[in-house]
Amino acid sequence: MQTIAAFILPLIIVMIPLYGLLKKVQVYEVFVEGAREGFQIGVRIIPYLVAILFAIGMFRESGAMDFFMMALGPVLGWVGFPVEVLPMAIFRPLTGSGSVGVLADMVATYGEDSLFVKMAATMFGSTETTFYVLAVYFGAVGIRRVKYAVQTGLIADLAGIIASVVIVYLLFG
Amino acid sequence: MLNYIWSGLIIISLVFAITQDITDLVRDTWRNGEVHEIEIIFPSNGDPGSRQTVRFTIPDHDGEYEAVWRPVDETYEMVITVDEDMPEFWLDIAENQEAASETEMLAEVTSYDPQAGTAGILLPEVRYVKLRAITTAAFDMAEFAVTLAIGLIGVMALWLGLMKVAEKSGLVYILVRFVQPFLRFLFPNVPRNHPAHGIISLNMAANMLGLGNAATPLGIKAMEELQKLNPSSDKASNAQCMLLTVNTASVQLLPPATLVALIGTGVNELVISMALATLVSLIVGITAAKTYERFHPEDPHSENIPDEQKSEA
Repeated sequence: MQTIAAFILPLIIVMIPLYGLLKKVQVYEVFVEGAREGFQIGVRIIPYLVAILFAIGMFRESGAMDFFMMALGPVLGWVGFPVEVLPMAIFRPLTGSGSVGVLADMVATYGEDSLFVKMAATMFGSTETTFYVLAVYFGAVGIRRVKYAVQTGLIADLAGIIASVVIVYLLFG
Repeated sequence: MLNYIWSGLIIISLVFAITQDITDLVRDTWRNGEVHEIEIIFPSNGDPGSRQTVRFTIPDHDGEYEAVWRPVDETYEMVITVDEDMPEFWLDIAENQEAASETEMLAEVTSYDPQAGTAGILLPEVRYVKLRAITTAAFDMAEFAVTLAIGLIGVMALWLGLMKVAEKSGLVYILVRFVQPFLRFLFPNVPRNHPAHGIISLNMAANMLGLGNAATPLGIKAMEELQKLNPSSDKASNAQCMLLTVNTASVQLLPPATLVALIGTGVNELVISMALATLVSLIVGITAAKTYERFHPEDPHSENIPDEQKSEA
């Protein structure tokens, strides 16, 4: 699997222009034309990213995040969800860099072989930063009214989080 | 929904920050205005009347610390160099003081007894820690958002350039034929043989292989293709919501690079658990999106119909 990943990118990058050349496409000009969009999109997503990230940053710094973790802890402990991995469950949909920080902190606290780190790592690997994806993907095409995308994204995250805990229990617990 | 979540985050932040700061004031957490006794050691032949580096000790606490002693008008002040061995409380003050520095703090000398070498000092006052923290966070994250977006431009240009070539040369349409059956189920409103199918499949493949920096530009490109079919200019179509859901569920068969960096080779053990968890989140996500779709019916041939529906979830 790792080998496939190592080959796939260079292969794609070489094959596409090569195929284009065979099909008599003006590859260089067409590439530049497409690449120009990259810049426009980068600029277009800025307001969306600012809106999402600053709100999350404030929420984290205000201590509200810690409070919710403390408040939710006993409830979750009661249903068998380990409180120790709660920070990851809350951070993961909100911030990518934040959840990396949480995981690094957990590795330092519990050790990389602990069940908690395995759960948190599985969560990290199996879900995405929903709000970031939302800001970037919809921002790029100027979508402001997101309909039910927040709900479905969070439902998918929640399923991934619960599945991570259950699966790690079954496999390693 | 996003409106409520977004404003909720901001309002809750403010409420929490204010509550915390008022609690601090009421409980006098920072003991503002309290005089701390220290003993000052001047260098030999040091004259308290001139500016110089001195050392000092804190009663009931081991260790000697450094400060710059300087006369101001009739009295003195000290610029204390923050030292990890200082009492916890002093470190907290240094970290939360209003001055931006974390390595120095300015203390006012309220009394100095040259015979005994003792002095009473006032540490910097600490107030509104959380309010300042959320303000800083708002500004810092706003700046970070731009750094992030600018950082994306290069990779994005590379992939969108390649995709344009793939599209012009017809490569995308070859791919479309392979993935059509599966994607027709997920995106029923996308017409047959539409390039969106090809780009979406590339986006999914990049996600599966853990190629995050290829997946994002491809996802954006796919979103653009879907936008061409979307009658509304600012409201998401069902297909776009599905694409977003599939991307947040992030089907990943290979661990992302950050994970490998953090927990090392132990990550290999987790490949199976991650694949299973991601599968569960994908199935649940798709089911949820399909269920929501029923409540937001769309015309399958809805190209270029003006935006009429105003209903917001």
